[in-house]
Amino acid sequence: MVEDLAFHLADLVENAVRAGARNVTIELIREGRDFLIRVVDDGVGMDGATRKRAADPFFTTKPGRRIGLGLAFLRQTAEELGGSFRLESAFGKGTRVEARIPWDHPDRPPLGDLPGTLVPLIATSPVEFRLLFRDDRKEWTLDTQEIKRALGEVPLVTPEVLSFLEREIREGIRALGWKEEG
Amino acid sequence: MKLEELRKIRERAEAEMRLRAGQARVKIVVGMGTSGIAAGARQVLRAILDEVARRNLKDVLVTQTGEKGLSAKEPLVEVHEPGRITIYGDVDEATARRIVVEHVIHGRIVEDHLVELREVPK
Repeated sequence: MVEDLAFHLADLVENAVRAGARNVTIELIREGRDFLIRVVDDGVGMDGATRKRAADPFFTTKPGRRIGLGLAFLRQTAEELGGSFRLESAFGKGTRVEARIPWDHPDRPPLGDLPGTLVPLIATSPVEFRLLFRDDRKEWTLDTQEIKRALGEVPLVTPEVLSFLEREIREGIRALGWKEEG
Repeated sequence: MKLEELRKIRERAEAEMRLRAGQARVKIVVGMGTSGIAAGARQVLRAILDEVARRNLKDVLVTQTGEKGLSAKEPLVEVHEPGRITIYGDVDEATARRIVVEHVIHGRIVEDHLVELREVPK
């Protein structure tokens, strides 16, 4: 299975939504030689024991599933490339996951289809999202609360809004000079 | 952020909502519980949103839900209409598109993926 970074990110976002978060911040940052993926949520969080085992491939809190591979895959990807993986979580407060991946490593997975992966999740989750893409010079943000305010009663799943969101995210990626395939 | 563009989208969408008295005719709910996601619910959700957009269906609302307790049949897709809820199981991308075209547009149940047809009070 090809695991691009968009796919990893979607896993993190789904975890955050399932944790009952009301606010999720998604940050993609080029920092020096690294690419940082950071997802911060204010969901239910994890206690110490759960946190210790969260990136263990044979651990999951989810009923009916034997293994919880999302975090484990991301940790493996980051560590195999010489990057790092960090998980901070406090029960009742939320979770923060951060993976640092060397951008120029020849085996770095491609960015993948970020707009196509993120927009369906963003538009249909009962959560406010803040997206931040940045490098040393530029910064791009998207805030669903702001968008919803501008839209009033019109839902995010309205086709025109979906294509607006995809276009915006694509523009953000382009503004930072990132490429979806590499 | 292009607030001006959003304002225009809002004006158009609100005008359409007024035309149909604010009611979505159909609500499509995709089960995004963990087993559902592992089983490809993410692609299913995306296919449904895409098909609804491509066919310009203005009176369809797409949303997601968590685990449904029918994980053996995930990904699950529910079609909510006045008076009935149709639950489909083992939905892949192609089936998702069929549900939009055959069921939502033409009103025909996609029999080979039907899990349950539930009558509900209107």
